[in-house]
Amino acid sequence: MTTRIAAILLPLLLLAGWEGYCRWSGIPALVLPPPSAVGAALWSGLASGRLLPHLAVTAAEMALGLGIGCLVGFVAGVALAEVAGLRRLLYPYVIASQVVPKLALAPLFILWFGFGMTSTVAITALICFFPLLENTLTGLDRVDPAKQELFRMLRAGRWRTLTRLKIPAGLPVILAGLRVAVVLALVGAVVGEFIGGRQGLGASIIAAQGMMDTPLMFALFAVITALGMLVYQATLLIERWLLSRQAKG
Amino acid sequence: MPTDPPAFLSFENVRFDYSGAAIVDGVDWAVGRGAIHCLLGRSGCGKTTLLKLAAGLFTPATGRVRLDGAAVCGPGDAVGFVFQAPTLLEWLTVLDNVLLPVTLHRRATADDRARALDLLELVGLAGLADRGPRALSGGQQSRVALARALIADPALLLLDEPFAALDALTREELQEDLLRLCAQRGTTALFVTHDIAEAVYLGDRVAVMADGQLRHSLSIDLPRPRPRDLRYDPRFNALCRELRHAMDGATGLRRAEAAE
Repeated sequence: MTTRIAAILLPLLLLAGWEGYCRWSGIPALVLPPPSAVGAALWSGLASGRLLPHLAVTAAEMALGLGIGCLVGFVAGVALAEVAGLRRLLYPYVIASQVVPKLALAPLFILWFGFGMTSTVAITALICFFPLLENTLTGLDRVDPAKQELFRMLRAGRWRTLTRLKIPAGLPVILAGLRVAVVLALVGAVVGEFIGGRQGLGASIIAAQGMMDTPLMFALFAVITALGMLVYQATLLIERWLLSRQAKG
Repeated sequence: MPTDPPAFLSFENVRFDYSGAAIVDGVDWAVGRGAIHCLLGRSGCGKTTLLKLAAGLFTPATGRVRLDGAAVCGPGDAVGFVFQAPTLLEWLTVLDNVLLPVTLHRRATADDRARALDLLELVGLAGLADRGPRALSGGQQSRVALARALIADPALLLLDEPFAALDALTREELQEDLLRLCAQRGTTALFVTHDIAEAVYLGDRVAVMADGQLRHSLSIDLPRPRPRDLRYDPRFNALCRELRHAMDGATGLRRAEAAE
């Protein structure tokens, strides 16, 4: 009960402190706007509907990038886990591709895909690819050798062993990779828009910076955070649903 | 000596090496149809490897393993294997775990399901078919593993210390259930264990294994069916003592060899 009260009081206290500091220190709103101004900017952006198309663009980029990146990462993870030769051959390149800061590739992607959604989706997908690949590889590798021997004893072929043993057994690890990918997807989408976006929440932050509209920038941070929390919670729900379905059989 | 019936499972001078060392070193052994034989030995003596050779999970370096006259060259339908750990799939129900050997190859029919439920009832798990394996005790999990090994109605059952991790009472119950199931179905069984009493209670014949070789064998002339109280019979204890001496002798031989 005490923690619950504290959980409600803490943000209120922080907001009140922030508001008070802005009012009495005389710090200009350009540097640090008070929460009341941020709230007003947020409200006007949402009520007028100006923010919604941007929100939709960022959400779409995130969803597409996440979907493509995770799918490719999962398939590549399965392929590398199953074919040892392929893994020895390709894993160094996979690592190299991950050591390259993906955002540094953004100018190149803009050259290839042009300004707009496509290059942002490509960056997001590239960022989401690795956690899924890595976790799929780990998840499939860690399958209990005794269970693999059981499947050998039952004359299950490679495909059956993969679909009936390795993927279900690795699912918790694979889903943990998905959770990481979801967080990175939002970063990818927003920062991708910083560089090459015409529309979206990230592009709006750059625009707000150009107009020196700091309250709007803060309002956009709030929207981005809310979007991230929503998607993360949705992922947790999906994860819990999949694992509980698995537990029940 | 009476003429033995033709062997159902036989090892003919079987040898298996692992990284240069002989794990199984020239084993000759035969198990008659419907008989239960036990391999008794300390850990690391090669008994599990011998069992996996019989299962076709390993291929002998030299010699041959025959099942019903034909050379074993891979896991087959006629063999059920019970591993040291129950190795149940946590994401399947008890029923689906028992049906796994079937569903890996084809869709389970109503008939398969009925057989699986019968088996679960025979191992004393009626009513637990829809539970997950995590909700079961260790003994119950071992029972599910036993039912899974029997679902394809194998002629030969290979068991690798399946009850070693259980408490003494549960272990005895499972031994009794195993004997009942094998007798009902006429299943031949090769049972690996390090527990002398278990070997004597279950086996028609017990082989003592050390350093990859069979050093001693003993016929267990106890009546079947074997009642629970047989474990307290003087004859039972005499057989246990004899096997104990044989095991000490086998180890003594190893020590003598090491000293040379």
